[in-house]
Amino acid sequence: MSQVRVTPFGRTIECAEGEPILSAALSQGYFLRYGCKHGGCGTCKVLVTDGDLEDSGSSFALTRADRSAGWALACSSRPLSDCVIDISPMGLTEDEFLAGDQVETFETVIESIADLTPTIRGVTLRLVNPPQMRFTAGQFVNVEVPGTDNVRAFSMANAPSANSEIELIVRLFPGGQFSEYLKHASKGQLVRVSGPVGSLKMRLSYRKILMVAGGSGMAPLLSMLAALTQKKDRRPVTVIFGARTCEELYYIDRLKGLCDLSAQAEFVPVVEEAGHAWNGETGRVTDAIARRMGNLRGYDAYVCGPPPMVEAVRELVVRLGVREANVYFDAFVPTGAVEPSLTTG
Amino acid sequence: MSFTLEQIHDKTKSYDWPFTVGDSRPKHPTKYIIPPKGKDPFRMLVRDYMKMEAEKDDRTHGFLDAAIRMRTTEKADPRLMEVMKLTLPDFTNAEFQAVSAAGGIIASVQNQEIRQGYQAQMMDEIRHTQLETALRHYYVKHWEDPAGYDIGQKALYELPAGLVGVSAFLHFNTGDPIDCVMHLNVVLETAYTNILVVAVPQVAVANGESALASTFLSIQSDEARHMANGYGTLMAVLQDENNIPDCNRALERYFWINHRQLDALVGHQAEYGATIRPWCYRDQWEEWVGDDFVSSYMERLTDFGLQVPERVPKVAEDVTWLHHTTAMALAAIWPLNFWRTPIQGPKDFQWFEANYPGWYDIYGKFWEAHAQMAEPGSGQIMMQQLPSLPPLCQVCQLPCIMPRPDKPETRIFDYHGARIAVCSEGCEWVFRNWPAAYGGRKQFWSLYHGWDLADVITKLGLLREDGRTLVAQPGIGLKRMWTIDDIRRLNYEVKDPLQS
Repeated sequence: MSQVRVTPFGRTIECAEGEPILSAALSQGYFLRYGCKHGGCGTCKVLVTDGDLEDSGSSFALTRADRSAGWALACSSRPLSDCVIDISPMGLTEDEFLAGDQVETFETVIESIADLTPTIRGVTLRLVNPPQMRFTAGQFVNVEVPGTDNVRAFSMANAPSANSEIELIVRLFPGGQFSEYLKHASKGQLVRVSGPVGSLKMRLSYRKILMVAGGSGMAPLLSMLAALTQKKDRRPVTVIFGARTCEELYYIDRLKGLCDLSAQAEFVPVVEEAGHAWNGETGRVTDAIARRMGNLRGYDAYVCGPPPMVEAVRELVVRLGVREANVYFDAFVPTGAVEPSLTTG
Repeated sequence: MSFTLEQIHDKTKSYDWPFTVGDSRPKHPTKYIIPPKGKDPFRMLVRDYMKMEAEKDDRTHGFLDAAIRMRTTEKADPRLMEVMKLTLPDFTNAEFQAVSAAGGIIASVQNQEIRQGYQAQMMDEIRHTQLETALRHYYVKHWEDPAGYDIGQKALYELPAGLVGVSAFLHFNTGDPIDCVMHLNVVLETAYTNILVVAVPQVAVANGESALASTFLSIQSDEARHMANGYGTLMAVLQDENNIPDCNRALERYFWINHRQLDALVGHQAEYGATIRPWCYRDQWEEWVGDDFVSSYMERLTDFGLQVPERVPKVAEDVTWLHHTTAMALAAIWPLNFWRTPIQGPKDFQWFEANYPGWYDIYGKFWEAHAQMAEPGSGQIMMQQLPSLPPLCQVCQLPCIMPRPDKPETRIFDYHGARIAVCSEGCEWVFRNWPAAYGGRKQFWSLYHGWDLADVITKLGLLREDGRTLVAQPGIGLKRMWTIDDIRRLNYEVKDPLQS
């Protein structure tokens, strides 16, 4: 048993051998911000000011520099000795910390499953109990894989105003638990989800907006774009959506439609392997950004997709003038080493 | 009838006391509807608050005593110390106007929680005024060139550089008391608090001066109280949706005005009154105003109907250049200042170009020419080289060459038979919506139209103790300082650009 002292609130969490800090905190009635619970998203980053931890989080959610600076992921860090952690960067009030986990569990039923591309499905879940969920565009839910003890994280793709349903974009992975489940799933089946979680959201700002998505990473950006349009937000938006081939792009009309509602929004699909019929941008999303955007000083950037894409875009947009603090991202990483499904971070 | 101690304690903490002694009628009318119960997150009685403040005072005065023995001013960068001759009186004036602002609010609202918060603030502002005056007294006695520190408050009200700040801080206690809160507590003390009382001492310490940091960090420790007053007041008035349009209008007005004047003056101090610049002013603004105020503080309030000011994108654009243009303008009219202008040289050019790409093309030649004219032997001042003096903005008092001298956005129009100049669309919007607040202001150039510059300087008392040497100088460490005779030989006549 190790004791983890939590500053700045001066409370102690008891961690059994091998127990991650996050699960110990939640089970003892404290709240720490968290997202995917498996080291993929970085929402539960804490600063370790004393003691030793074993951390099995993904290298993307926590860079080598982060680790050297003392950061750890509470969801996947197990104390090896008594520790002191600082959670002030989470921005929690003491009341929030002491209130415990407020994340709700919802019963939903499958409303529809659509083939968006050969490897991506659009899944709509209707909320049954409770019948509505209040969430912020950019957040995600943890979906229990029916018949297992595992959860998978997916961002909501619908606008928060449509709060009686949850629309998910799911990339299929061969052998992935949720992917396998979806093969045989049908309308009306019960699925339990918990949430909403995650800190990605559209920031109130005066800056122009650049959204960059790849693969199933379009989900949170789609939700944000819809929310922006509904609020009649006046900020200029450029949405860049990348895929390997034209067949892997989806929701094109829907995205164009949302962008058409605003005089200042532009939608730019990009494909790496374009056929003769394609007359849009080609190459990677970074190529399209470099070609079209020029100086990005005065922009906020939102980036969601596979980790290498997120990393490359982050680096590029900062080089082109976006302040590092104004790059907001979710890396969509597979869950688990053996049975990759998908998660958001 | 007797009460238990517990009952008295509960009553004290309920903040619903009736007016049994004081006059409950508001001294200053307000257009806002103010609910009787407040939203003050501190809820601390003045008597408890004062104990903390007394301790802070003791520490700060104690450090000044130590600073004398440590001879801190001998280690200070002259650039910092000279430009502080403008910046410190500006601060003291802001504090002084804020004393009156807090008094105005206390006398105008019936919400006891809000009144208690502002009584604490009023004491704070008095404390700040005293601390800054003590610091200036220390500089008068211990800085190598006290000329200018000794006339700061008077000069502020009489000279173009000073009138920028004076006209800014008048808003703290002029007009509707809740509008005053919007400028003082919400915009200045929340959006700009770190820029003012964290970055300024940071620059001071980086440039060798610790007494200022000790004073300002003591002041900074009170700002959370003042932010809470602003937040509490705002949350109280936002409870009534009839107040929302007025809140948004006030925020639009004061965010713009505050940007014009504060970004110009504080950016000038941070980058032109320093040799070591810890970080560039534009980055400070992005982090503390752009991210912390707009993206974080404002975000919480949009649910209650508050809107991000429309001109924030324009402010973000102008904040890159405004203080450079201000520094250039102040250097150009140096005889009418009350400090020695730090001449910017090649090392500075490098830093400016690295942090503000394109800086040299706009300002580099000016500073080279300024350096060439710095010694009295040159027989020239920059004012002679200008096609005309720039009009001063009727609203913010900055010279109408903003945001950049090569791209001025000046607007000139007639108002009640007088020609009015404003520096920007934002200032014109402010003027046209509140003409009574700005229409009657006399402009510096019009007061001295047709005067010989030497006579203006003499009239304003900008001479040192010998009666000949100017307080202001175009450089620090000149071989010889400019005298009134040097200026008289120039035969330079002040001409109001709006009359000529």
